[in-house]
Amino acid sequence: MRSGSGLVYLLIALVFGLSVAHILIMPVEQLMARQIRKTGQTDPLIIRNTIINTGYPISQWILGQKTMKEIIEESAAQQMSYSKNPNQAYTAGQMKTDTDFDPWTRFLLEEKPALLSAIFLVLFFGMPFVISFLAYNQVSGDIQSHGLRYLLLRTERSNIYFGRFLGAVIFSTVVIAIIVATITFYLGVKTRIYPAMALIGWAACGFLALSILMVPYIALCSLISASVNSPFLSLVLAKVAIAGVLLLALAGSIAWKPAKYLLYALPWGWQSHLLHPAPTHWAGAVLACLAYTALFLMLGYYRFEKRDI
Amino acid sequence: MNQEKRPGGLTALAVINFIFSGWNLLGLLGLAAFFAFVGRIQTDDMNEAQRTQFEAFQNLGLPMFIFIFALSIIISVLLLLSGIGYLKQKKFLGWGLGNAYAIVTIVNSIISGFMFPSEMGGGFHIITMVGLIYPILTLILLNTTFKEDLTN
Repeated sequence: MRSGSGLVYLLIALVFGLSVAHILIMPVEQLMARQIRKTGQTDPLIIRNTIINTGYPISQWILGQKTMKEIIEESAAQQMSYSKNPNQAYTAGQMKTDTDFDPWTRFLLEEKPALLSAIFLVLFFGMPFVISFLAYNQVSGDIQSHGLRYLLLRTERSNIYFGRFLGAVIFSTVVIAIIVATITFYLGVKTRIYPAMALIGWAACGFLALSILMVPYIALCSLISASVNSPFLSLVLAKVAIAGVLLLALAGSIAWKPAKYLLYALPWGWQSHLLHPAPTHWAGAVLACLAYTALFLMLGYYRFEKRDI
Repeated sequence: MNQEKRPGGLTALAVINFIFSGWNLLGLLGLAAFFAFVGRIQTDDMNEAQRTQFEAFQNLGLPMFIFIFALSIIISVLLLLSGIGYLKQKKFLGWGLGNAYAIVTIVNSIISGFMFPSEMGGGFHIITMVGLIYPILTLILLNTTFKEDLTN
C-alpha cells in the first residue's frame, strides 16, 4: 500500500469488479422494479429469461463455444424479432430451455446462480489485465534504485523473491475475497433471487477459482519484474504479455486456425475450465495453473539469482 | 518535521485526487448545462424509463440543484487541496482536508440514497458502493498507513 501499486490495484480491482456486477445486475433490478410497479409482484419466469438472455452470450463467448461474430449475428436476429413484436420476447415460448444448452452452460446458468456465474465469467476474463497493477513492481524498482543491496545484507535472494511473490498472492486473494463477498451479499440481501446457501456455496467456488487463476499471472509478473531494471518497463511488458497472447491468438486464428493454440502460452486456454462441472476439467485447470506458476517462478528466480543487482 | 522521502502511495493518492477533482468539475459543467437547457429537451422520442428519469431531474427544483452544485464544488475543492497536501505531506492540508473530503462524500452518498428517487440514483445500489470505495480507502489510509507521513 505504501508503495502505491497496492493502492492503485485495490482501487482498480474494486471499481472493476463492482462495476461489472452493477452492469449485469442492473437490468434485472430495473425489470423487478417495473414488475412491482405494474403488478405488485415479480414474475420469476420473466426474470429468469432476462438473466439467461444476459448471461448466455457471455458464457458462450468466454467458454469458447461461439465466436464474437456468431454472438453478434444471433443478438441482431433477436433484436429484429423483438422490434417486430415487443411482447414476444417475454413470453415463455421464447425462453431458452434446458435442451438448448450444452452441459457446461446448463451447469453455469441453470444449476448455479446464473447472475453470479455471468459475473464470475467476466471477472475471469478481466482480472488478468488488472493483476499486473499489483504485481509489476515486485523487485524491479529495488533493482533500479539498488536498494536490494542493503536488504541482501540481512537476507537471501530467495527470501526476497518468493516473499514478495507470496505477499502479492495474499493481497490479491484478500481483494478478490472482498469483491466476491460484496457482490454475494448484495445479491443475497437486495435482489433475493437465489437461495442464500446456493449463493454462498457458488460464491466460495468462484472465489477459489479466481484466487487460483491470479497466481500464474502474478508469477509471470515476478518473472518480468526480475528480468528488467525499470518498474515502468515491467508494467508495460506484463500488460503486453498478458493482453498480447490473447490478442495474437484471437486475431491470428482468423487468418490461421492453429494460432488459437497460442492461448495456452498463458492460462487463457485453461482458465474457464476452473468453473467446469466435471472434476477432471477443473482439477486439470488447477494443475495447469500450478504448472504455469512453477515454470514462471523458477525462470524468474533463476534470472534473479544470477543477475547483478 | 517529517523530511523523509514521500511514499509512492501518497503520490498515487494525490494523483487520483486531482483526477477525481477534474472529473467532478466536468460533471458539474454537465449538470449546469442540463439545467440551462432542460426546458428545450424533447421527450417525445424517449422510452418510459428515460422519461421517468428525465421527469425526476426536472422536478428537482432550484434549491436542490443549488445544494447539489455547491456540495460538488466543495468536494472538488477538498479533493484538489488535499491532493496538494499529500504531495507536501502537510498535516492540515493533507490529513485534515483529506479526512474532511472522505467524511463529506460518505455522508453525501448516504443522504443521497435516502433523499433522491431511484431514477436519480437514490436508494441502495451496487454502484453506490463503487462511489464509496475511494472515500473509505482515503479515510482508512490517512489514519493508518500514512498517518505518520502527514506531519509537516
